[in-house]
Amino acid sequence: MTEAGARVLLLVSVVSPLAGALVLGRDRVRARQSALATSLFTLVLCVLVIAAYPPGAKEFARVSLPWASGASSAPTAPVVSFSLALDGLSLWLYGLTALLGVVGVLISWEAIQEEAARFYRCWLLLETGMLGVFLAQDILLFYVFFEFTLVPLFVLIGVWGSEQRQYAAVKFFLFTLAGSVLTFLGLLAMVLWVYVQTNRLTFSIPDLTEYLQNLHGGDRMPLSLQLVIFWALFAGFAIKVPLFPLHTWLPLAHVEAPAAGSVVLAGVLLKVGGYGFLRFNIPMLPEATAVSAPYLLILSVAGIVYGALVALAQKDIKRLIAYSSISHLGFCLMGIFALNRSGGQGGVLQMLNHGLSTGALFALVGMIYERYHTRQIADLGGLARKLPWLAFFMVLASLASIGLPGLNGFVGEFLALWGMFHRAWSDAPVEWVLLYRILSVLALSGVILGAWYMLWMVERVFFGPLREPLHEVTGQPPASAGEGEPYCSPGGHGASGADGLEGAGWRDSASSPSSAVSGEDLCGREILALAPLGLLMLWIGVYPKFFLDRIGPTVEELSAPAARLLLEGREVPTGLCCGETNLSSPPSNPFGSNHVFKAGPGLVYRGAN
Amino acid sequence: MFTVESLLVVTVVMPLAAAVLTALVGPRLLRSQSHWPTILALAISLTASLLLVWQVTQEAAATLSARENQPVPSAERREHPLGYERIVTLWTWSGGGLPEHGAGSAQQEEDPLGPPPIIEVSLRADPLTAIMLATVTVISLLVAIYSVGYMHGDPGYWRFYSYIALFVFSMCMLVSVSNFLLLYVFWEAVGLCSYLLIGFWYQRPAAAAAGKKAFLVNRVGDFGFALGVFLLWMSYGTLNFHDVQTAGQTQPGILGQTFLQQPEHYVGGAVGTAIALLLMAGACGKSAQWPLHVWLPDAMEGPTPVSALIHAATMVTAGVYLTARCLPLFLAAPVAPLVVACIGGGTALLAALIALTQTDLKRILAYSTISQLGYMFLAVGTGTVLGVTAGMFHLFTHAFFKALLFLAAGSVMHAMGGVIDLRQFGGLRRHLPWTHTTMLFGCLALAGVVPFAGFWSKDAILLAVGQQEGMVYQVLGWTATATAFLTAFYTFRAFFLCFYGPERIPEEAGDHVHEGPAWMIGPLVVLAAGSLVVGAYFEWTHGFAHFLGQTPSLCLTGLAQEGPRAEMISHSTVAVGSSLVALAGIGLAGLVYLGPRSLLEGLTRTSSAVGLYGLSYGKFFFDEIYQAVVVQPFWALARLCGWLDDRAIDGAVDGIGTLPRGLGALFRSLQMGFTPFYALAMILGVLVLLGALMTG
Repeated sequence: MTEAGARVLLLVSVVSPLAGALVLGRDRVRARQSALATSLFTLVLCVLVIAAYPPGAKEFARVSLPWASGASSAPTAPVVSFSLALDGLSLWLYGLTALLGVVGVLISWEAIQEEAARFYRCWLLLETGMLGVFLAQDILLFYVFFEFTLVPLFVLIGVWGSEQRQYAAVKFFLFTLAGSVLTFLGLLAMVLWVYVQTNRLTFSIPDLTEYLQNLHGGDRMPLSLQLVIFWALFAGFAIKVPLFPLHTWLPLAHVEAPAAGSVVLAGVLLKVGGYGFLRFNIPMLPEATAVSAPYLLILSVAGIVYGALVALAQKDIKRLIAYSSISHLGFCLMGIFALNRSGGQGGVLQMLNHGLSTGALFALVGMIYERYHTRQIADLGGLARKLPWLAFFMVLASLASIGLPGLNGFVGEFLALWGMFHRAWSDAPVEWVLLYRILSVLALSGVILGAWYMLWMVERVFFGPLREPLHEVTGQPPASAGEGEPYCSPGGHGASGADGLEGAGWRDSASSPSSAVSGEDLCGREILALAPLGLLMLWIGVYPKFFLDRIGPTVEELSAPAARLLLEGREVPTGLCCGETNLSSPPSNPFGSNHVFKAGPGLVYRGAN
Repeated sequence: MFTVESLLVVTVVMPLAAAVLTALVGPRLLRSQSHWPTILALAISLTASLLLVWQVTQEAAATLSARENQPVPSAERREHPLGYERIVTLWTWSGGGLPEHGAGSAQQEEDPLGPPPIIEVSLRADPLTAIMLATVTVISLLVAIYSVGYMHGDPGYWRFYSYIALFVFSMCMLVSVSNFLLLYVFWEAVGLCSYLLIGFWYQRPAAAAAGKKAFLVNRVGDFGFALGVFLLWMSYGTLNFHDVQTAGQTQPGILGQTFLQQPEHYVGGAVGTAIALLLMAGACGKSAQWPLHVWLPDAMEGPTPVSALIHAATMVTAGVYLTARCLPLFLAAPVAPLVVACIGGGTALLAALIALTQTDLKRILAYSTISQLGYMFLAVGTGTVLGVTAGMFHLFTHAFFKALLFLAAGSVMHAMGGVIDLRQFGGLRRHLPWTHTTMLFGCLALAGVVPFAGFWSKDAILLAVGQQEGMVYQVLGWTATATAFLTAFYTFRAFFLCFYGPERIPEEAGDHVHEGPAWMIGPLVVLAAGSLVVGAYFEWTHGFAHFLGQTPSLCLTGLAQEGPRAEMISHSTVAVGSSLVALAGIGLAGLVYLGPRSLLEGLTRTSSAVGLYGLSYGKFFFDEIYQAVVVQPFWALARLCGWLDDRAIDGAVDGIGTLPRGLGALFRSLQMGFTPFYALAMILGVLVLLGALMTG
């Protein structure tokens, strides 16, 4: 497919969920069918675009439509355009969004009974917003999509969530909004600074990056201003990630959200944070990045260990997975802020990995909840016997999430750790060497803790003697739960094609006679929702090169300026117009000699001979 | 057709194919015939690996003669490599990045982004790998055949075979990959198979807990291993074992020819020591050495064939393989070999002491495995070719007789209806004649009696240790001899309790106690024959040490081929001494457990009085100590963090959230709608303003 064709598909893929939301049917069955069709259509387009993406490319399929620049051709006219493009950073997140869009519809199929049409409308709007965030090449457009994702998710949590849904929704909304306002101010400040310098009011992300990286000569932005903007952007992105200690909205939002909401929240929306850091902070503010990276690394590693420890203490499966997200995303940011090739690739791949494995885990918890109306670990036990397929996927996703080699989590964690170790042992700034080394070892210890809490949860819920809660349908069903409806509708609905797989359980012996629906294993629809996630986990684990080849070039380009600063030990420019003080770099050569870690004569051999 | 490369790939790939096939068609189509894909694949693998050994022998001999016939060894040394190795590169696992930033880039300035993470999936064939492959495939084939009888009728029959095949694949890859990262990958993969198979009967809480424990303890070791791998990367800039030729340049691998020929370039000092000890930490986890040995006895919750294959013969020896393979790295760090030897010798004694008083037959064997692995580490820890070959020889013979002992124990368990506690049965020799005889072979081999396999390899170890100078090795030599005595004692204690004395049969066994089917007896007989002959055959032909000596890692330039005191201790002294020790142990066991009852009671009373009995029976309380020192503090920390997260951090956030409301309340109180108050405020304001203007 040509790039022109890809452009069209890209544009259509962003717009189609929106269009689907507008023409959605009224009743539940029609609504979910058309939602599935729309999201499937979007997914197909995404797959086609991704297939056309040439490995090694830095950018692909740029679509640029004038939006608010008006007819004036004067150089001072503001340039705001509806500009979308794919690159290595956004490629997989874009694909992940489309995939989880379909998965979310499939797992909400029966779970959402009330106001289903509205639910799917929100869902599709959310999908457009998420796709747009990753593709936007214009700051205003980015911010519009960024905020656009907020409202549908707020509604999803607030209306279809569990008991504390309104508190959770408000907390989520305020937390995110508070951060994103600061982020917006930071973004505007960059635009204004470029305007002051060049007399050109542009909102285009590539243009701004070029100006701010000083590719056209002229003054560099003073460090003090860079730092102020860096931390303003940090406010919004760190809350999104979420970075310790700004994470407390996350467990609450996850626990209260409906399963599909948790899936996209973990799978896609949290990625906006890491994406933002890599799209804006690192390339646009290289000096500030070089100065701030140690603090970001401290927070990331603190998040890895802290998230894992808190996860260990959880009694609710969903909370446990939510805290595990904090730990895993710590790995992402650690890799990204290691500011080198392997770290960056690992960090970005880990975003995709986390979306797959944690998305699958949340979907599975939702399926358990549909069956037993509980998420308490203590209420459940020995489910592997009764729900072998569910147990299979749970074990698979857990193993992926604890970084078992051969599955995706290992590749991302390993590369991120590799980047961190390289930064700590070969390229550390002198004054940070010891701290970096401690951080790298602490981060590695997160791998042990991760195995501990996940396997312990799996053991308690799936192994041992069977324990099911005394579940009465009439008990106190939460708002979203349906009554009496069979959980696996016979494969008539939609395109899920459930017949072939229905009842294909690998029950070892004659399955216990269960009268209640609570004992049913996964049906074809649910397996269809999980299977693509599982296959991707395996694919990334066995042949990550396919994915890394497409991530690599872009990430290198984005983090090269900051990395170069670290390497050159360049004196960062002191303040010119915004205060004369140089905030945090000591007067002497700040980044000192490289290779403080002298490895003995073995190093002589690197590339020699 | 039968090239080294193709044989290697066939050996490795067949089990994977079987695992996938069984998983796909097992539950529906094959059902009770699910063993066929695995057995056929393993048979092919075994054939291929034996052919591989043959081929490697031929080619290694040719390489060696070419090297020896070379007139001047110094100048063109590079032309003839040390040892024999073949590399097969399959695919590139990760190598992202722009082509111009690739490894072979000519640009001189340093790349700010660091080197690209290039990892190639490459396999290697050398004598060490060939021997490991042959051992793994032969034992796994026999265990797979045995399991047809043992696992018959189990609801998870196909699952069992799928896991077993997956394990064999992972294990074969582990011993044949040529890269530290991939070694780590399959290191964890065999750990996964172990986890799945220990927890095979997952409905039993003990089995599920044991699986998790094994995985976690291994993760602790792997943490060290991973750290070591990262340090290797930082120190050498590569993770390959072998040298890679790219565009006319040689990128030296860590265990490649360039380094082996100039071992002075290995990183020594603190970093070198750290690398070696961290790798050893990984080895301790996988091979259940002190202080990470606690998982292996619990792992006996798995089906007995699994215990035989994974937790006795193959997976647990991966640590020994690792240390043998990385011998140059250990030699580069002065104290590392000594640490390995001390851990090995100490663990051997510790586990033997614990095994003395255990009553669960499988756990006795598990502690015996730990003890025997300790012997292997002790041997490798001598840091000589003699020691390493002795350790690998013991690994090889141990695989036969320990698999035999476990399978025989499984046969007992099969007959006893799942009971394995030695206090509940006894005097079984008339009911289980085959099991009795084959187990006797295994026990004799384990105890180290001439001419059984264990005798030869244990002697080689004692000899290698005895040839080392230094106080520590002397002590270790005596420890090893004492352990040999204990080994003979506890082995025959278990044997006598099981097969002799008054006949006792538990209720679970039912009325008709009988031997298992031919599927089970066959492998027992084969392994018993192996336990009898493999040691003597290789000892007499000197084939093993000679062949293994062609492994590149063991051809390190300047590596001592013999210990320094070769002339002082002769083989026969050691042989006679250790035979006497073994016979003494067996004799004492016979006296105590077949002789008068009072002797046993007296012995028990005496050892209880000095506290030894309790220590041994309580397994030196390692589980309890770890629970108190590691697990509980972490739990407390986790709960503390959980509490802090709820109260402190989230509380602070909620506190900030109430701030606007509080401010609102503050200002709301001013809006009371009382007009004179507004008037007063207005007047005050005007006065303040005027005052300000006038003073300004």
